Amino acid sequence: MTEYRVNGRGRVNRDKPIKFTFDDQSYQGFEGDTVASALLANGVHLMGRSFKYHRPRGVVTAGSDEPNALIGTTRGKGRFEPNTRATIQEIYPGLKTESQNKWPSLKFDLGAINDRLYMLFSAGFYYKTFMWPRSFWDSVYEPLIRKAAGLGKAPSEVDPDTYASRYMHCDVLVIGSGPSGIAAALTAGRAGSKVVLVDEAPEMGGTLLSEPSVSIDGQPAWDWLAAAMEELDGMSNVRRMTRTTAIGYYHQNMIGMVQKLTDHMGDVPEGAPRERMWRVRAKEVVLAQGAIERPMVFDGNDTPGVMMAGAAQTFLNRFGVLVGKSPVVLTSHDSAWYTAFDMADAGANVVAIVDTRDSVPQALQDEARARGIPTHPSHTATATKGRLRVSGLRVNPVKNGKVGAEKMLSCDAVLVCGGWTPSLHLFSHTKGSLAWDAEAKAYLPGNKTEDVHIAGAGRGLWGIASALEDGTKAGADAVKSLGGSAGASTFDVADDRKGTGITQKELPTDRSPGRAKAFVDFQNDVTAKDIRLAVREGMKSIEHVKRYTTNGMATDQGKLSNMNGLTIAADALGKEAPQVGLTTFRPPYTPTTFGAFAGYHKGTHFEVTRKTPIDAWAEENGAEFEPVALWRRAWYFPKAGEDMHKAVARECKSTRESVGIFDASTLGKIEVSGPDATEFLNRMYTNPWTKLGVGRARYGLLLGEDGFIRDDGVIGRMRDDLFHVTTTTGGAARVLNMMEDYLQTEWPELKVWLTSTTEEWATIALNGPNARKLLASFVEGADISAEAFPHMSVVECTVGGFPSRLFRISFTGELGFEINVPARHGKALWEKLWEAGQQYDICPYGTETMHVLRAEKGFIIIGQDTDGTVTPQDAGIGWAIGKMKPDFVGKRSLDRPDIVAPGRKQLVGLLTEDPKTVLTEGAQIVDDPKQAKPMKMIGHVTSSYWSEALGRSIAMAVVEGGFDRMEQTLHVPDENGHPVPAKVTGTVFYDPAGDRLKVE
Amino acid sequence: MNAPVNSLDTVTVTILPPVARFNLRIAPADLSVASKAFGLTLPTKIGKGAQNADRAAYCIGPDEWLLHAAEADQQAIAAAFDKVRAKTPHSLVVISDREKTIGITGPAAAELLSVACPLDLSRIPIGGAKRTVFDYAQVVLIRDSEDAFRLEVWRSFVPHVQGLLQIATRELAIGL
Repeated sequence: MTEYRVNGRGRVNRDKPIKFTFDDQSYQGFEGDTVASALLANGVHLMGRSFKYHRPRGVVTAGSDEPNALIGTTRGKGRFEPNTRATIQEIYPGLKTESQNKWPSLKFDLGAINDRLYMLFSAGFYYKTFMWPRSFWDSVYEPLIRKAAGLGKAPSEVDPDTYASRYMHCDVLVIGSGPSGIAAALTAGRAGSKVVLVDEAPEMGGTLLSEPSVSIDGQPAWDWLAAAMEELDGMSNVRRMTRTTAIGYYHQNMIGMVQKLTDHMGDVPEGAPRERMWRVRAKEVVLAQGAIERPMVFDGNDTPGVMMAGAAQTFLNRFGVLVGKSPVVLTSHDSAWYTAFDMADAGANVVAIVDTRDSVPQALQDEARARGIPTHPSHTATATKGRLRVSGLRVNPVKNGKVGAEKMLSCDAVLVCGGWTPSLHLFSHTKGSLAWDAEAKAYLPGNKTEDVHIAGAGRGLWGIASALEDGTKAGADAVKSLGGSAGASTFDVADDRKGTGITQKELPTDRSPGRAKAFVDFQNDVTAKDIRLAVREGMKSIEHVKRYTTNGMATDQGKLSNMNGLTIAADALGKEAPQVGLTTFRPPYTPTTFGAFAGYHKGTHFEVTRKTPIDAWAEENGAEFEPVALWRRAWYFPKAGEDMHKAVARECKSTRESVGIFDASTLGKIEVSGPDATEFLNRMYTNPWTKLGVGRARYGLLLGEDGFIRDDGVIGRMRDDLFHVTTTTGGAARVLNMMEDYLQTEWPELKVWLTSTTEEWATIALNGPNARKLLASFVEGADISAEAFPHMSVVECTVGGFPSRLFRISFTGELGFEINVPARHGKALWEKLWEAGQQYDICPYGTETMHVLRAEKGFIIIGQDTDGTVTPQDAGIGWAIGKMKPDFVGKRSLDRPDIVAPGRKQLVGLLTEDPKTVLTEGAQIVDDPKQAKPMKMIGHVTSSYWSEALGRSIAMAVVEGGFDRMEQTLHVPDENGHPVPAKVTGTVFYDPAGDRLKVE
Repeated sequence: MNAPVNSLDTVTVTILPPVARFNLRIAPADLSVASKAFGLTLPTKIGKGAQNADRAAYCIGPDEWLLHAAEADQQAIAAAFDKVRAKTPHSLVVISDREKTIGITGPAAAELLSVACPLDLSRIPIGGAKRTVFDYAQVVLIRDSEDAFRLEVWRSFVPHVQGLLQIATRELAIGL
């Protein structure tokens, strides 16, 4: 038993002592302790150094709102986490923890020099100080600031943990398991609703865990609590979840919740996920999150040992720990008086109760007197004594606004309560309005935008009885909203601790307020002086004050500081708080790991990798792959000793000389079917389709409403009322969506239906002079001779025994076929062709060779040679526009003045003067490289390759007025910035007459 | 490295054998023609299914049905629809190879699906189906019984979906 542990108090398991370390020193706590409660039990208050001034800091709260006691925790190799709240982290055998922001040690920290210089580090300090000289910013200021910045140290290893996700649906989600939450869950559960009750703590009960002296329905609070838990667990329609934080409240009652699964375990089951993100869709939500205790703002209020009175009460009653043996209570609310009484009853020598109010209920004064506790009403606190631990509180009487003579109260803890702030973070996420309660000086929930009910202290109520009553009412209301009925329960509460109080700006002082280190935001080291300075310097909205001072911008999102900051700013402005505003709370409610958000999306499941039916063959045959949209595609097939350049040159040569085989399965495919299929395609694509015969195919060009090129592909007519449409690989889903959009919203009268068949078919392209020779022996049911099956034809037949849609098309300029077979047969057909193709030295080629071969022919690639600002005319494919058609998507835009104006960027070819130089894709183009900087850039290189067929480099580029610049020499910088001269040409570099398509 | 886990006592994940699969689009007013051609009365409400021996039909859109049949019947079914197309316009597209079917059975089947399917599974009737997503994959989810589901997944998304189901099956086995 340590000297601060109180026998007979608390809920920790005294039979299970647990050893852990803090800054390499071993401490003992018990099962059920947090790091904070266990350290306090050992008399340790000093747990960290503050962010800016490196001031010594101790624990302030007992919960998730903790701003100070942020520690590093190590849960094994690679499992270091900074900024863990000591008040949340449960201890287990072997847990290693450390303090942060100190060097060389927590007790002696050199960074604390900032504290001595604090007059320099006022609000806006960085903005003002590091302005000049400008050149110092990069070299001096920024590196220094970066070095000093940050809270804790970032983990250096890849997170080895796994994280899980789940969806959940329920009738009533109750967030918070204090008395109102439990009452709501009981009421809704008894009515048969599917209820989920969650709490961020390891144990349910909320306030009840800290108030064992209250009795409910004739039972002590903890007995009632146990019975309530038992009843809830006995209902099959109720689920309880502990260690689960509702982090965000999103549209239509979607709640994000993070459940901590293993952080409290010494022995973690192999492979167990660390946390699980729950995405909950609740028909009704009850927010029973309680209230957050407000600190008081006075000089030295951040000294270790100064903490919230409610926290001290929790440490005593829940953990059996006295946070001090001779505490002073400093309060403006009745609640802290009960803390004093509980402390005194547990054996502490309560030095005094200092209350800023002039009137305190007589009953409280009587109880204090009965315990022999001196009381000081109408007093202020003006300073603390002690640096690493508080040793005294300087108090002064206040009479008619005048601060009287000081008095030093020796103590080892100061327990503060500056009132209570309803916890409205989640409600705030819903964009529900907040209403200012002038009497309570607090924001309360106003108009609601979601199916949500707020109960208990979260809407400003106080005392266990009213929380229970309000909770059961919220539960019944939720059931009623669901169309059911539930009777609200009644509760008989005895020894309730009702109470009231006031809130206030920084406490009055007899000293210079300008020298007071009176903290408003502990985590970001913002003082009352900073906030007043911000107002003096012209900030009038709390949003500006917040950003100027960083008040409330730390990881605790101002849970403790926002209302005090607002009160002080409002006072400085001479306005009421609501006129100054309230900053917005945003998810997550408490700091959340990236792992929880990422869930399963790491490693192999980071993102979907789509593979074609032929992918396995490519992998076995040594392909290098590249990602294209979600697909991975064979990029090139290097032989031993080949780099990409050599492999691609060989693949190009083989294809042009004999035959190459290419996996085109990723091309998007859409079945357009119905009596109005032709009319639909006429409206969607620029090209005319009416006269395309069955068994024929045509290049199709798709524009957006703006007239710019969106997609292209070959479209084959299978029947009068059926087209096989192909799209680009990346455009497949987008094009189908666009088509459906027009069909459903613009032309619902058309009888036509669209079905994606991208994955129904595996597609194999054969290209090269020997393509037909290889293919012919496999084809049954069709004549594929040059006469019977000309270029741009399609036929249904069997290939290699598999049902097929066979196209004669070419994206290489060679004789070409694309064979579509049901996906399951893709690899088998590929292997048959591969085997038979050996006599022609068949060559598998990848996307890089495909790119080179098409560029030699001047065929564009959507998204590479176009960028969403290129019209068909700009791309030199105006021929694809059906001139006689009355309309198609984008037609009207093609007549806009800017679209027909001269000087647009147009797609041209570029041939470098030195044929060996390959231009850099994306490089900017200038007319005259000797012009003054900044030069006028007139375009950029879109495609650039080594052409093996031509024995030289080729490139395409978009250039202003490019069509009128033929034969001009332009300049393109190489990777070192040296200008490379290149001549403007047409885009068809190879076989301009198209003779190679006509192989007999 | 953990070996793939496809089953534990409470849930089993398997890739099911292929079926003849069609996407049918037809005006609801003409549904009786389709029912006759398919030999099964097609359901009229989105989410509902109908089944007779190895024929099954699921309504997954206002004018959209997913049809299942024995593989051997694929051509005959296509031919039957072909006959009525001139008089009753519709679109019947073979998608037998577009998807693969993953069967998920056992008392923990619904819990396993809740890992990446946002639907309230308790509201899917037995014999019904819904188009939904499983993580990043568009899927059709069919419910065969209280604890038997099928996921129809586009072929190239199957490894992702199956892998995720394996990860989640392991997670269920751990029981946290």
